[in-house]
Amino acid sequence: MKTILKSLAVAGLMAPFVAKAQMPNDAIYMGKKQLCVAGMYGYSSWSQYWENTLKRENFNIGTHTTQSVMVMPAYGISNRVNVILSLPYVWTSTSAGNLMGQHGIQDLAAWLKFKVVKAGGFSLNAIVGGSVPIGNYVPSFLPMSIGLQCRTFTGRLLASYREPKTGVYLTAHGSYGWRSNITIDQNSYQADDRVYNTDQVRVPNTYDAAVRLGVQRKGWQTEVWAERSSCLSGDNIRRNDMPFPTNNMQATTVGWYGKVQPRNIGVNARVGYVLDGMNVGQSTSYMVGLLYQINFNK
Amino acid sequence: MKNAYKILAIGSLVAGLSVSIISCDKSISEPQRVGYTPANVDEKAGSWKTYVLTSPTDVTVAAPKATSSAEYQAELTDLKSKSASLTQEQQEAVVYWGAGAVYRWNEIARELAARYNIPPASTADGKYPVPDAANPLADPKFPFANPPYAARALAYLSVAQYDALVAAWNYKYQFKRSAPSKVDATVRVALPTSTIPTYPSEDAVVAAASYVVLKAMFPGEVPFLDAKLAEHQNSRLWAGMNVQSDLTAGADLGNQVAAKVMARAKTDGMSAANNQALTAGMIEVAKAQGLTEVWVSQESPLRPPMLPNYGAVTPWNFDAATKVKLRPGPPPALNSAEFTKALDELKAINKSQTREQARIANYWADGAGTYTPPGHWLRTAANAASEAKYSEVRMARTLALVGTSLMDAGICCWDTKYYYYYPRPQQFGVKTSVGLPNFPSYTSGHSTFSAAAATVLGSIFPDQANEFWAQAQEASNSRIYGLIHYRFDCTVGLECGKNIGTYAVNRGKADGSGL
Repeated sequence: MKTILKSLAVAGLMAPFVAKAQMPNDAIYMGKKQLCVAGMYGYSSWSQYWENTLKRENFNIGTHTTQSVMVMPAYGISNRVNVILSLPYVWTSTSAGNLMGQHGIQDLAAWLKFKVVKAGGFSLNAIVGGSVPIGNYVPSFLPMSIGLQCRTFTGRLLASYREPKTGVYLTAHGSYGWRSNITIDQNSYQADDRVYNTDQVRVPNTYDAAVRLGVQRKGWQTEVWAERSSCLSGDNIRRNDMPFPTNNMQATTVGWYGKVQPRNIGVNARVGYVLDGMNVGQSTSYMVGLLYQINFNK
Repeated sequence: MKNAYKILAIGSLVAGLSVSIISCDKSISEPQRVGYTPANVDEKAGSWKTYVLTSPTDVTVAAPKATSSAEYQAELTDLKSKSASLTQEQQEAVVYWGAGAVYRWNEIARELAARYNIPPASTADGKYPVPDAANPLADPKFPFANPPYAARALAYLSVAQYDALVAAWNYKYQFKRSAPSKVDATVRVALPTSTIPTYPSEDAVVAAASYVVLKAMFPGEVPFLDAKLAEHQNSRLWAGMNVQSDLTAGADLGNQVAAKVMARAKTDGMSAANNQALTAGMIEVAKAQGLTEVWVSQESPLRPPMLPNYGAVTPWNFDAATKVKLRPGPPPALNSAEFTKALDELKAINKSQTREQARIANYWADGAGTYTPPGHWLRTAANAASEAKYSEVRMARTLALVGTSLMDAGICCWDTKYYYYYPRPQQFGVKTSVGLPNFPSYTSGHSTFSAAAATVLGSIFPDQANEFWAQAQEASNSRIYGLIHYRFDCTVGLECGKNIGTYAVNRGKADGSGL
């Protein structure tokens, strides 16, 4: 197949407290006028979390679970420019205690991916993305909230080298994420060791960096990855208190991603595990997806 | 090249979109308060009825030196040098404290309440260590500033401020020392001035009284309070508002009054409020009344109930016998149709809580990490008094009436809760969207606090009475929407709170203020 369906690698459910929309993080492109629609299901859970730096369990939460279903179309505007959209429906629950699970449509994300430089097996890619909350969910009821109600804007640089004969590739990226202030239902809250007498909350900006090593051949792909995602500022969960959108959430995650798509129908799967973090749950996450490709060139 | 144009076009589209999404400024605007000239100087306030003092002459203030004296003139010279030119930091301190001494210290107290409002974590052996006043910054921090604790801390703060200001007003109008800028027009002032005599300084009075109370209530915050006290006093010099002897006399008076107020605090029964040994007897009383399932902590490990004997703390506006009379009648039996109906209402909300219900539940939640419902209502009271341009003494009177009523509400409500020991909806499978407090259900604390505060505020600000009551009603409903109270917990609590508030209203009408 000339236009091998390129993957929609997913970093969704990476932030262990709150599921976030998927983020394109590979150097693989849909060909011109190729559309791939992915339908994905994600499951992420933790029974331990970092309260500031203290790793602990919470008998009044037990195991915290976040699940999501998401549609994610990706389209080749040209062979070097792709657009990707995603919109998840998310729901949360706990195995113990009495916190009410939350559910709803989360944020609509859009990404544009540009292949800026291509030389042999090497490519340098510029990726920009933004997201806006679609559902009117409660952002301050962490860890049960399904999102933070932020508008976001992300800029990412991604470099990749793929050895043409074997298909072995190495990809690395770094991103800066801007997040908007949010409005909460309360007209006062505590953050940064003080009380704010307002309903406006400053949510810290983020960065992430990741490396991926894998093999991509005709019809299939497999990779291992490691990612560091972190806020650039923010406060910590106070002793025995609940998390809050101002928290400096950090996580180092490792995982595996794979895809099989011999024809226009395929499947993908992803596993992630948080090795270390701050103000987040030590989550293990799974994602499976069904891929369907349509060629508008015909 | 065609592709390049395409990329350019898409790039500019993205840039355009991102500009529309992003406003890069992430600063947060909080409502600002600025200083004002009081609408009324309340020159007779020295005769208003105090809470702990029997008379302003319980405390002494040395007669000031005449403004013509060499000592005073030297103070003026010093004041002029300190107020002539200010750094940015000094200007900010002047503006901050210029919003009002009572206003700011109440805000500081609410902030401390929020910082300390965290229930202790359980230890590995499944126990909950009790916060230790002698070691306040250890884990768990002392105090756990839960709603009853915060209500009491804020009540004592307001009482100390009020009694001290009444005494100060007495001496102000006895000595009638004019403001420095009225003695010498070349003194540069940074805040609005009034005709209120400045000896002793009301700011120094409030700062000292507040400092003593808050240091006792939040013993781990001494460095923080030291800094606030020093900045407040200095800000009066920087602003050209008080000479040093105004401040010294004020601090002395404030300290004397606060010591008397804290003497009451030491014997008001709070030290026995967490007597867990009493709960077995309370459960027996509740069962003897026919309760088939008593309240049980829903936390794991089981957490001892919050301050089970707080109901025995001495109230402000009525006596212990009246407290028993104020206690509402029993809640519905658990096998009654009324109970089933109330539980069914919660089950329905549990299944399909609306976003508006969640908003109301969240807005009034005032749970862990916040300044609690008493703090919420005192913020409302302080803002209303500031908007009405109340003098310091009238502001303190307002907050003392509201604050004592809030503490009374806490006492009555806790008495009721542990008298009936009624189970929470969570014992019947209902979840919560706001977090579950660790004490019996009947009656609702939010409802009792809110109705008491709204009743008092409605009496002080009659043109806003309906608005305050609507807020109390919403605060009460919020506990149903948040799924932690049956409707009857809330309606009965609201009614009881209204009755409690009436006692403070009557006190206010009889305190000699004519307000």
